[in-house]
Amino acid sequence: MLQEIRQVLRLVVLMSKQGRRHGSGSTGGLLILLWDEEAGAQRLNCTVAAAGSWCSGVEIKALQLDLKGRMFPHVSPSLEPDPEDLIPFTELHGSLRLLLSFQMKDARHWPSDWQSDVEAVLQAFSLANAGIQIHLKLKFAQKTSVRDFRAKIKAKVSRADQPPLLLDVSCPEQKRWFLSKPHGWAKRASWCQGGHPVDGGRLPLGIPPQAMDGGLLGDLSVRLVTLLHPCVLQYPNMPTELKSIKVLVYNPCNIPVSGPSGFFQTLPSSMDCQHLGLRGLQCPAHKDPEFRVGTVFTTEQWENEKKCDDEEQESSHLPVQQSLLLFLLLQHRNPFCSHLSDFVAADMLIEHHLEEILCNNKPAVMAAIRTEIGNAMKAQNQRKKQQEKLNSAAEVILSSTMSIVSCSSNVDFRNACFDLMKVADTHALSSHLGESLRRVMSWRFLPVGRCYSTQMEENLLHHGSTKSEI
Amino acid sequence: MLGKQISCTMESGSTQFFFLIDKLRIQLLNSIEGATEKDYFQEEISPREILSRIESVILRIVESLSKNEAPVLELPNRSSWSNVDFDSGVGLQMSSGHSVTTVKSNCPASVTKFAQILKILSVIYRLVQSNSYATKRDVYYNNTQLFGSQRSVDTIVDDISCMLKVSRRALHVMATSKGLIAGDLCYLEEDGTRIDCRSSSAAVSVSSNVSGIRNIVSSAKFVMIVEKDATFQRLLNDDFCRKLSPCIMITGKGVPDVNSRLMVKKLWDTLQIPIFALVDADPHGFEIMCIYKYGSVAMSFEAHSLTVPSVMWLGLLPSDLQRLMVPKRSLLPLTRRDENKLNSLLKRPYFASQPQWQKEMELMQQSKVKAEIQSLADIAPDFLTSIYLPNKLRFGGWL
Repeated sequence: MLQEIRQVLRLVVLMSKQGRRHGSGSTGGLLILLWDEEAGAQRLNCTVAAAGSWCSGVEIKALQLDLKGRMFPHVSPSLEPDPEDLIPFTELHGSLRLLLSFQMKDARHWPSDWQSDVEAVLQAFSLANAGIQIHLKLKFAQKTSVRDFRAKIKAKVSRADQPPLLLDVSCPEQKRWFLSKPHGWAKRASWCQGGHPVDGGRLPLGIPPQAMDGGLLGDLSVRLVTLLHPCVLQYPNMPTELKSIKVLVYNPCNIPVSGPSGFFQTLPSSMDCQHLGLRGLQCPAHKDPEFRVGTVFTTEQWENEKKCDDEEQESSHLPVQQSLLLFLLLQHRNPFCSHLSDFVAADMLIEHHLEEILCNNKPAVMAAIRTEIGNAMKAQNQRKKQQEKLNSAAEVILSSTMSIVSCSSNVDFRNACFDLMKVADTHALSSHLGESLRRVMSWRFLPVGRCYSTQMEENLLHHGSTKSEI
Repeated sequence: MLGKQISCTMESGSTQFFFLIDKLRIQLLNSIEGATEKDYFQEEISPREILSRIESVILRIVESLSKNEAPVLELPNRSSWSNVDFDSGVGLQMSSGHSVTTVKSNCPASVTKFAQILKILSVIYRLVQSNSYATKRDVYYNNTQLFGSQRSVDTIVDDISCMLKVSRRALHVMATSKGLIAGDLCYLEEDGTRIDCRSSSAAVSVSSNVSGIRNIVSSAKFVMIVEKDATFQRLLNDDFCRKLSPCIMITGKGVPDVNSRLMVKKLWDTLQIPIFALVDADPHGFEIMCIYKYGSVAMSFEAHSLTVPSVMWLGLLPSDLQRLMVPKRSLLPLTRRDENKLNSLLKRPYFASQPQWQKEMELMQQSKVKAEIQSLADIAPDFLTSIYLPNKLRFGGWL
């Protein structure tokens, strides 16, 4: 099922690129509709529909007549979907540019969590194609579930020598433990709801002999983009700690590919963690939903402290846990490719030989990844240094203040201090002053123009937001 | 030869010799009587009041923290000319509407300074409370890691003095004096030590507790401020104080410290005799003289206790170089830095009440040369003490 959905996406993207008129956009909708004909059926029907400017180059007839047979050897024609299921989609995104239905057999042999796999792939696709709203509708076993993948905040990553990239930079739900609870006394303070992608540039890749023998020719490269969540730029004193690094690989169609697990398993040993300021990287064996697509590494620090519930994190005592998303976007150019089938073949070859391609370019790829992680760590290490400076000064400020209060024979002065902090003695005063001082230091707020503040939140919910970041 | 022709006797007590100086003194006294009473910087603030002012600072900090706001300290800006007014009767004094520098406790760039200020405040609090004293050096060694350098401590002590509107002496933080004094002067230190500056061969260090000096006894006709220690030593060796007795000479060894300035002020307030400045004929020397006379921007908040607007410019004047035909080999060209300094000095507010000074500086600007006092030795080895200074003092060669 997943493979077929990915094939359709590949076709749509490639046809769109081929047929795209100059200046046409990258927005629109994608509908994945999965349904069974009757309860207990072993066959599952799949309909893929697309609308909007992102698929403006798609010719449905060419798709259905020419390539369908070759692309989907394991499927059979399907019944047409219920038009009622398409109406909301067309109302939202306009007339369909693509409507393709097929049927999968032997659903009982599929992995039990195949739905999660589909969702994970669509989620990852949405991250790198933020202009496309994805609707997944599942109707089987007499149950209906709907899941939308829509970017609340988009950022265009532009570079002179690169095609523009529209990323979903909205802070993931599971990382927003503190966003809904801005600190009560920071009246002006707001949280950045998104992230700020950093374009690491393009790295040329050599094509390994096996891939060449398979027919993969031309220029191959990988573009690295990083995204750090949550953004705490507006809190320059807040200590941060990198909890995890998730690596997502995309083929030249911007479709996420699974693996190559072998290559990335060697990443921790290739990183000079000490030099980077990391306490080590681990690749967890478990498969949480977040980890279904891409490779995730967790830092050893996080592994040791994972028992702490995110919801209970006390920001004045713990650093903010951040996650780094590393996009590896493969790009391919072959002037001898002219037909759609050529592009499809090249794309599939790249996926097939991805492990060899990355291994063939291991030093350069690892160095590039190291650079990107190093840049993320620089900011963290800088914060750590500042935090040490603040903590050191806080000790002196507190001890000097308490020295004067303790020595003072002015009862009015002492009582005024106690009353202000609502304490009864110098010991409690010291404790409360210390807590308050560390809090005001850590929670210092400086608005940053490019951050997506909570004041925008209502707009985002309705209209979304797009910014350009270079 | 020239020196022998015009040399004159310098016997102590010669009425004729000090005629013009005595006349000058009368003029100065008359001008003082005509001056209106001014609000002087508070010299006598009780220790309790000082403690109270420090407590007010702490209370504001606690209040900020009680509201979960980052405490800030506001320090009057002591480095900006825009914060200073000029009064010819006082000199450079801090404007009432002066700008402030904000030191934040939650900004990494300023948090260390915030902590340094609090630390020194706590040290001062204890000193005042226990009526004990410490030097700025002692304060620095209290926590060298925090302060980093002696200069940081020095600056912050002055900042605190300005912020609390209290003299540094009242904060019980003393500074080791670098100045020297010699001549017809005796006094008692606060601890009862008797100081006699009349030794002909050695000078006395300026007291580190000038405000505590009492029982000043002197018959000096004038005080001479000497810019450089080298010149001061030369005069000492040449027995200047005996030859032109009775007189007092003092040096701050370059840019004067606060104690040297306080001493000059003290001598003026107590003896009310003319005070002359002997500085090099260069922009730097001129500026040093102006510090004694009109004060500095950094200490403008204490102008009333530090400035002596009656200081007269005795030499070395730029016009002296031409008049005395100082050998060209002794003259130095003005550097780019000298020229910039000179241009800056000419824009200062002093010259509105000192047209003759302005002429001298413009002469320096036009001639593009400068000279040290030592250049007079190229005329004759003892020219300075035997001819130049006696003639200047006898015949009113001051501005």
